[in-house]
Amino acid sequence: MTTVTNRPAPAGPTAPKKALIERLSIITGLLLGVVGALLCWYLARTFLPVNTDGSYIKTRMDQEVFIAMIGWFVGFMTGMGALIGPFRWLLGKDLTHDENMFYAGKDQGVKRYFRYTTDHKVVGIQYLVITMVVFFVGGVLAMLIRTDLGHKGGNWLQPQTYNTVVGMHGITMVVGAIIMVTGPFGNFIMPIMIGARDMAFPRLNALSFWLVVAAVPPLLSALWLGGIPTGWSAYNPLENQAPPGMDGFIMAICIFAISTMVAGANITATAIKMRAKGMTWNRTPIFIYGVVASVALALPVFPVFFLSQVLSGLDRATGSTFFDVRGGGSPWLYENLFWIMGHPEVYVILIPSLAALMEMAPVFTRRPLFSFNLAIMGIAGISGLSVLVWAHHLYVSGWAPLLNGPFMLTTELISIPTGMLFLVLIGTLWRGRVWITLPTAAIYAVLLNFTIGGITGIYLSDVSADAALHGSLFVTAHFHYTLMGSGLTAAIGAMVYWFPKMTGRMFDKKLGWTAFWITQIGFQITFMGMFMVGLAGQPRRVGAISDFFHQGNVIATAGAYIIMAGMLVLLHGVVVSWVWGVKAPQNPWFAKSLEWSVANPVPLENFAVLPVVTEDVYGYGKAQS
Amino acid sequence: MSELETAKRLAWWKRADAKKAVVLWAIFTLVIGYVASTIQTRVMGSAASENMSSTINMIKIFTWAASPVAGLVAALTITTLLGKRHFGDNPPPEAEHEIRNSPKVAATWVVVSTLLCLFAVIYGMVLVQKDENNLRSANSLNIDVTGQQWAWSFNYVDNGGAQSADLYLPVDKHVVFHVTSTDVMHSFWIVQMGIKVDANPGYITETATTPNKIGVYDLRCAELCGLYHAYMQKQVHVVSQADYDAWVQSQGGKA
Repeated sequence: MTTVTNRPAPAGPTAPKKALIERLSIITGLLLGVVGALLCWYLARTFLPVNTDGSYIKTRMDQEVFIAMIGWFVGFMTGMGALIGPFRWLLGKDLTHDENMFYAGKDQGVKRYFRYTTDHKVVGIQYLVITMVVFFVGGVLAMLIRTDLGHKGGNWLQPQTYNTVVGMHGITMVVGAIIMVTGPFGNFIMPIMIGARDMAFPRLNALSFWLVVAAVPPLLSALWLGGIPTGWSAYNPLENQAPPGMDGFIMAICIFAISTMVAGANITATAIKMRAKGMTWNRTPIFIYGVVASVALALPVFPVFFLSQVLSGLDRATGSTFFDVRGGGSPWLYENLFWIMGHPEVYVILIPSLAALMEMAPVFTRRPLFSFNLAIMGIAGISGLSVLVWAHHLYVSGWAPLLNGPFMLTTELISIPTGMLFLVLIGTLWRGRVWITLPTAAIYAVLLNFTIGGITGIYLSDVSADAALHGSLFVTAHFHYTLMGSGLTAAIGAMVYWFPKMTGRMFDKKLGWTAFWITQIGFQITFMGMFMVGLAGQPRRVGAISDFFHQGNVIATAGAYIIMAGMLVLLHGVVVSWVWGVKAPQNPWFAKSLEWSVANPVPLENFAVLPVVTEDVYGYGKAQS
Repeated sequence: MSELETAKRLAWWKRADAKKAVVLWAIFTLVIGYVASTIQTRVMGSAASENMSSTINMIKIFTWAASPVAGLVAALTITTLLGKRHFGDNPPPEAEHEIRNSPKVAATWVVVSTLLCLFAVIYGMVLVQKDENNLRSANSLNIDVTGQQWAWSFNYVDNGGAQSADLYLPVDKHVVFHVTSTDVMHSFWIVQMGIKVDANPGYITETATTPNKIGVYDLRCAELCGLYHAYMQKQVHVVSQADYDAWVQSQGGKA
């Protein structure tokens, strides 16, 4: 792909020494990030004018925190080497071939995972690892929540701690779920699946990953800066009232939103422009459709998320009043901006998960995907409708009651394209010879969980039922059935499916099955219990509850500990298989898509000769064999 | 697959797996519908207003309308598991067919799901209209509700401005709540009456109901509002009109 000619290395006294790009890594990134943060904090502290308006004492603190975090961000990205490419380009000297190969991680072993490496396979592995880290943190926080509510009356944690734990659990899990499929598999697998040598913009690929890393310290700093008492939705005016921890949250969201936009542009461009010769849209695997729909949906909505947090940050740090009714702003504006991102976001999570299942179903039933066109129509229908449903989160807000009817209509219409995806999956399983493997089990589990999650969603979409259920644990149980029971289960299935290609080793079957059964059983117990207490009237996001709800919460907490056991077995399975697993053959599932046509480990540029595609990848069935 | 082979195939309803699926479908539909609706109504408890009983009723009807869908998904997936399963490291033989589509099945599926969806929308619209009319009903008792961190206060404007921290309502009297907040967002939720509306600073939102059973009910804040959100709950006392009048007078208002 590269058009750079092999120029002679620049002569000079520094030539025999290590070049600058070889010195940069996560260590210089962290170092420069910390230096940048401290420097900016010192400058802000010294030179910012004293706040004359006595009523906003914390404004100045917010300004200092924001400026320090911007210092961290710029310092970290510079230290990682994100600016080398743009600077060279500015000077009119593009990277040499050797430098590009260095950036791609050639011959660097494990070190390349800690550098600004552009190879999509490295980025895929980095995403896989960081997704697991994020889920681990979110899982620990979930256990704190459930432990609190398992105590009679709750109140095991201090109220401020509890609220922060709830908010951090929410945001870490949402971030983890957004990147869990498009990150690892969209980066590692997708380019090979479409027969490309790398992504369309490899440096943007590295940028999108390291932006996620850059967002972590600001988010974690919230824990030391007073916490985030608002939940992940960070509604105003509560957000405006919150301690400086909120600034960390805002900064993390802004950085993460940029990462998502960058990744979205990159993945979309790759799928549109870099497919192999002969891979017409009719021959493009459904997983590619799912990934593209997901990131293309994120492209218009994440800027809105970014904007909502920028405006919140301005309200906090400068005393502007976008969301403050006393200054002519509106908290309803924030709610709208938030959910204009927030509802499409759940489909950003779900669509690629379901697409991964549709990709796996033909392989494990040895028959073609049932109704490819219906699958595409379902994905397109969900994506299109999902941007028109946000205000169902505002049914009881009092904002524009006249719009409740129309939003109920659009919300319930989504069940039609969703039903199409069900038909595609069931139609593919129907009368196939089902090969019982972990990915197959994931398909069945998701069909069960998503049926429950979908139907409970229809209760919630009804305006008058929502008046009873909104803000209760029923809602929490509902979206855990969709995002965890369906999205995460599918992502774990996809991980087991592509594990052999990504790590060169088979996933340990025994550990995988043990983890599958434990987590699924624990999941049903936890969230069925939560449905019950929700119907009985327990609000969400409360750390202290009346004894009336004790029984249901003990059930849910017991289930949560079972899930934890299952997840630890899964994590153990990942480590054991990755390090000591059986070496995987090139195509362990005998699948027909292109990623299985390359060797293990996948060579640096994937294909020696770019493939030419002559038929779609679903040509299973007797007539073919 | 050739035309000839297609003609030789059994009609779908004569195939063994289809028969199995239909039987399972019937069983699952009944079991899911019965178990789910029974548990739901039991857990939601007894309704203290028309809003709540119509919501419980609606959930029951939605559950029965959804149970054939859930039952079908369960029946079809379980049937596929009852058929030819394959274990081991090598793939099963290729399926005997390569059906890539069935326009009839797809069309039926889409049409049926559309009809179910329209049913839910129309049912919902009727209830929305009812709630809407409810707000405009004449001869109702008006109460101003103010949320603040972390308490509620009630102003009985039709009773000469009596005030209280717990909510008192006369039974069988239509009440309209005018809800607002002095600081952050709260949400005014009377659990057993099935009504909820957010309390926003700077705006007044409305909700209405007619309590129809004497008793003590729960008022909870349903929108995260900071430190003591969990403790922002009060009791709702629904009393007879005579008791209500006496209580109002004891608070310095007029009946």
